[in-house]
Amino acid sequence: MRLAFVGKGGVGKSAIAGTFCRALARQGHPVLAIDSDPLPGLAFSLGLTISDAPLPDEAIEDKPEGEEGPRYRLRAGLTAADAIDQYAATAPDGVRFLQFGKHRGSTGRGLFRSQFAFRQILRELPEDRWNIVGDLPGGTRQPFTGWGDYARLILIVVEPTAKSMLTARRLSRLALDEEHPRQIVAVVNKAREAGDVKTVEERTGLEVVGAVPWDVAFAEAEEKMAAPIDLAPGSAAVKAVESLVEQLSAERIS
Amino acid sequence: MRVAVVGKGGSGKTTTSAIVARTMARHGATVVALDCDSNPNLGLSLGVGDFETERLESMRESLDEGGEEHAPGWDDLIARFGSDAPDGVRLAVVSRIDNPSPG
Repeated sequence: MRLAFVGKGGVGKSAIAGTFCRALARQGHPVLAIDSDPLPGLAFSLGLTISDAPLPDEAIEDKPEGEEGPRYRLRAGLTAADAIDQYAATAPDGVRFLQFGKHRGSTGRGLFRSQFAFRQILRELPEDRWNIVGDLPGGTRQPFTGWGDYARLILIVVEPTAKSMLTARRLSRLALDEEHPRQIVAVVNKAREAGDVKTVEERTGLEVVGAVPWDVAFAEAEEKMAAPIDLAPGSAAVKAVESLVEQLSAERIS
Repeated sequence: MRVAVVGKGGSGKTTTSAIVARTMARHGATVVALDCDSNPNLGLSLGVGDFETERLESMRESLDEGGEEHAPGWDDLIARFGSDAPDGVRLAVVSRIDNPSPG
């Protein structure tokens, strides 16, 4: 499956995405977890202690003069699968992790080069071998300006709050793209009341495929910069994400 | 006074901005609340409601479509494209992302 978690900032995309990746990997599937936020946060939710794992500059080359195509690309001979083998970090349960890069307030030249290679990997990685699970930046700026093109399934994480639901409505409109047909659904996070799923369905117009309850264990994992699946394996929130993984694997949405 | 509120997603920028804006207005200041987020939700926290927050066009969008020969000044922009929020705060949205485009 190739999917992307999007949603308003702070709704819990990283915590859910990280837990999702680990649970999917435990089922025996190869998983590539990607963080395309220049202020990245997925690594901790996967159980990694690093916060910066960009593609090194040696993986990227300038397009030779006279050739067609993007300005920068993976260096000659390096396939997308090779790039993952060589440069992606390895998280617990064998999840591979690739990060677009961390914004350092410099000229941004490194990030500018790496974004071409990062997006090339997502386009070219063989679909039959890899599951790709993306944690995209919060809000509406990045996801549908090319970064989410790899995804066949868009999971909009929604809290039952007005701002999060308004953001979800905007994202669901932005995600509609004839060139990139994809399924767009919602995952409710921080559900506190029985009626929350219905409220989100009514006010976003989206099908809700999963509901993660409000769970203090998720918040504590964030505080401790740890993976919820390690820190609170039996918690209600982790169990809800595991059910979502089982459900989506069974439906073979890809 | 010119105040900018920044921080991580979900940390409460919008809520803080709205309370600061309305509190200043209640103390008698003339307040313009500028929503500079590409995902503008400030209207919700100021209390203009869901419908008005979604309806409010961004100034950039309005200018792009308007075919104006000269860019109007700030006062004119705020008057034409803003919306009235409680306590006399005037809300305007700077830029909203409405169309996916190849990046």
